[in-house]
Amino acid sequence: MPLKAVLLAICFALATGTASLQGAHTVWSGLVIAENVPQPAPIPSELTKFEQTLKELFGYNQFEVIGQSNKTLKTGEEDWLANSKYFALHVDARGENDAGYTLNLKLYKEKDVLLETDANLSKSSPLVIKGPQVGSGQLLLVLVVKEDQQSARHRRHAEPANPIKAGWYRLRRAVHNVFH
Amino acid sequence: MKTFEEKWTAWLDEQLSGKELEEFEASLPDLDAARAEKRDAQKLGAFLKEQLAAQTLSNEEFFNHQLREKIAREREEDQPRTRSSWWTIPRLVWCGATALALFLFTTFVFLSQEQPGEQSEYLTQILNSRVDPGANPNATISIFESKTDNKVTVLWTEGLQSLPADYAAK
Repeated sequence: MPLKAVLLAICFALATGTASLQGAHTVWSGLVIAENVPQPAPIPSELTKFEQTLKELFGYNQFEVIGQSNKTLKTGEEDWLANSKYFALHVDARGENDAGYTLNLKLYKEKDVLLETDANLSKSSPLVIKGPQVGSGQLLLVLVVKEDQQSARHRRHAEPANPIKAGWYRLRRAVHNVFH
Repeated sequence: MKTFEEKWTAWLDEQLSGKELEEFEASLPDLDAARAEKRDAQKLGAFLKEQLAAQTLSNEEFFNHQLREKIAREREEDQPRTRSSWWTIPRLVWCGATALALFLFTTFVFLSQEQPGEQSEYLTQILNSRVDPGANPNATISIFESKTDNKVTVLWTEGLQSLPADYAAK
């Protein structure tokens, strides 16, 4: 009898532990103009973590946000708009999974859809979409699941360092799936 | 034939009577002193009886219980520890081996779920994407991940229609 209670307690702890991973997150979506200018402005705070990556990928020295949105996802099925004067990025979240959110993205130029894509946006991996050339610069669409203390702590779990840890997290997910 | 001491004790206890009593008292050299000694002995006897009467314990059961427990403890300590545990050495070995086998099995099962070459679920995945073929007939799309630690997933388009600088307005 005590053994059964211990097993139940372990299963409950695993299930609630994994359930707590699915807390509310904020998705930052931005319309960014990348340009080469003599005196580049400081990069927006949302992009600082991967500034070097952006510079290496696109070859520009300035990244200016012309439209943005911070959306806190509670159900994982919200939709929102990040727009500038001429562009609009419509994001339709279609559910949450273990790694992040399933999103449908549409880039509008005024009323025309320039680009549409479906993606699984990971909590630990930003998405950058290269848009059209605009003047001497480049339009980029950037989506990031923002780091807060809670998600930063969980991110350590989301990036297992070795196969044993990966196996452990798979086991936790399996237990979680049994209970939900 | 009783000795003098036996007769003296019986006389003190007033066990002598009749002819035997008369003969014994007659044999005493100082009857008055003997009678005084007899009275003293009787007083002493009465005093001792009174004082040494059995005193009743007010909590007899409690003391009995304490005593029994102490005796039981002492017996247990004296006995060699021969009680056997369920965790015998062979059982421990078997349990260890079973746990190890279970661990290896689950590790193998859960690790083998990830197919080689499969994109990690911890990276952003592009499921599908399309551009307006009418406005951008030569557009192409490619997907890659940055080689840096940021794990940035990039959807790279080429051939989209260029727009004038005015479109960069906020």
